[in-house]
Amino acid sequence: MSAGVTIRCLLGMLGTDVHSKGIRTLAQLLRDRGVEVIYLGEHNTADGMVSALIAEDADVIGLSFSTSTYVHYTRDLIERMKAAGVDDVPVMLGGLIHREDEAELRSIGVKGIFGPGSTTEQIVRFLEEVTGKRLSAGRDGFG
Amino acid sequence: MTDSRSAADIKAHLEDVSVKLSRTATWSGIETQASYGPNDLPDHDYARDSGDPGEYPYTRGAYPQMYRSRMWTLRNIVGYGAPADTREAIAGALKMGTAGINVVLDTLSQEAIDPDHPALSADAGQEGCSLPTVRDLEVLLEGIDVTQTDVAWHSTMMVYPLVVAMVRKQGKDLSKLQGSHMPDHLQLRLGGWSEAIVPAELGHRTTVDCIEYSVKHSPRWALGCPQAYDLRERGLPASGEIAVGMAIAKQTLRDLAARGLGVDRVAPSMAWVSGSDIDFFEEIAKFRALRRVWARTMREQFGSQDARAQRLRIACHTSGRSLVYPQPLNNLSRAAVQTLAALLGGVQSLETCTYDEPICIPTEEARELATRTQQILAHEVGAARTADPLGGSYYIEALTHRVEADALELLGKIEAIGLVKAVEEGTVEAIMDDYNYKIQGELDRQERILVGVNKFQPKAETPPKRFRFNQAHMESHLQRFKELKGSRDDVVLREKIDALYRVAHRRENAHAAMIDALLADGSIGEVWGTVRLATGLPYDPFRVLESPFGTPRL
Repeated sequence: MSAGVTIRCLLGMLGTDVHSKGIRTLAQLLRDRGVEVIYLGEHNTADGMVSALIAEDADVIGLSFSTSTYVHYTRDLIERMKAAGVDDVPVMLGGLIHREDEAELRSIGVKGIFGPGSTTEQIVRFLEEVTGKRLSAGRDGFG
Repeated sequence: MTDSRSAADIKAHLEDVSVKLSRTATWSGIETQASYGPNDLPDHDYARDSGDPGEYPYTRGAYPQMYRSRMWTLRNIVGYGAPADTREAIAGALKMGTAGINVVLDTLSQEAIDPDHPALSADAGQEGCSLPTVRDLEVLLEGIDVTQTDVAWHSTMMVYPLVVAMVRKQGKDLSKLQGSHMPDHLQLRLGGWSEAIVPAELGHRTTVDCIEYSVKHSPRWALGCPQAYDLRERGLPASGEIAVGMAIAKQTLRDLAARGLGVDRVAPSMAWVSGSDIDFFEEIAKFRALRRVWARTMREQFGSQDARAQRLRIACHTSGRSLVYPQPLNNLSRAAVQTLAALLGGVQSLETCTYDEPICIPTEEARELATRTQQILAHEVGAARTADPLGGSYYIEALTHRVEADALELLGKIEAIGLVKAVEEGTVEAIMDDYNYKIQGELDRQERILVGVNKFQPKAETPPKRFRFNQAHMESHLQRFKELKGSRDDVVLREKIDALYRVAHRRENAHAAMIDALLADGSIGEVWGTVRLATGLPYDPFRVLESPFGTPRL
């Protein structure tokens, strides 16, 4: 697999949310599939995440939430991405995302929503679709 | 049969409803046999390994009569919004038949951050009660005498100093203070607070400081340490809960002994905060193995001579992680089985998770049903009648030995590295990550079936009911908080903050100084931020705020 087709995915959490086990597991599962994961961990501010996005030149940004304030934090992040001119980077959300909030999230610009019951396969397909890049199957990527 | 459906239809239908043995290993991964007999317990010695209930090594229970002498405390977890909101919820829970109140704080208060933090204010009051000052605690507990009533705090950072400050303000006798909290900071570090919010070294030292202060000044206050529930939920097998929890308990006891507080002064105040996961038999074995490991460790390694230090009390909350979002009413079944396992395992207090745990903070209906689950088990099922009812079962005894052996092996590995180092270097987190990764892989490959999640998914479902509350109290709470900051005696507060900084800078026990600063209306964010600064950390872990007091003079 050449460096040119690598998908670079920034994963992190905003606010005071501490439930990081899901996103940590996802980071490992995506690495298995050849995704280059930049893992920011918990406790980021929106500004900090935008800076990291610019510094890392990521193709996609993935956020995980277990707290109920995800609409607020996501809107804040996307506004700051716009202000910094990097809102072309697709945003995906995972964790405890309620179906009845999906329309609002999409209206503020969220491209992928992976709530309870989503599979790794669905996330991988989404990453390929929004980046237009194809991952080679198996564990021969950036494990 | 005159059924017109095709054979294929019927077969598909049957596959959907049939119950098959999909797994022969326990939920944590211990392989089991088709049956067990005396040959599986070749070295088991009743007096040495089991003992009667209430007898060393307490495998069969902490007390001889168990629930006949003292029932478990039925606890209900409450907390949301402003102190006034949670106050109302407490009143409602007491009316419903809850004996023990367990207060949960919002994520900001749990991280010792003030509700007016410019980047984080949205989280204030959302997942628990916002409690930034002594004055808020007074609103929350108005009319409740904390020297008479047992209030349990499902929280770690700053809550004990807040309670002590309130007791002092009320002129009450601190030695009579009742209740409990969970002073285990290393668990926070491992549970997602991360090095940014709770650095391992400072966290562990704060645990030791807090327990030292409490044992000396409020001997009736119970200490939920280790807080093994969150460790387990973060990603550990049943044996791992014992291993990491024991590593924390032992390091804490060693450090307290070095300060002159021996095991028999400290351990009687400690209670193990445990989970109860979905594998019924494995959980019962875990509670039994845990009491045995604890008793032997206290007696053989710490030289305990007091039965109260060797007889472990367990505070249990059923597993939230095991509950799922699809078809949430199934969580009532899961929680009932977990609650029964905890009772047959002999726990001293018990919170049953609400079925809507994976959806939102509990609705009132869900809380009532969780209470009723325990009442059904107590009154109808007969779960409380006889101590350790599964003791002597070949299977349970063999599993108890196996969980114990696995736990001691992992404990040895962690202690060989050194606990704080193993946490700082990420070794313990890596164990948890590997466990979660393995489980997710098994779920993805359907080697592990989670009903409603990777099999037997509900067809169409209306979204579950979500808890909502009126934000009006929150607005006035935030307003009051800002007003308080503007109306304090700044000279007195600065004096207390400076004193706190000096004590914390010397790496001494800062609890008395934290309490003084809280009494001068310092907020949790200001008080803990000062401890952070004195330790060489940024005042605000999010690096947005600077200390309003500048850098105090040494």
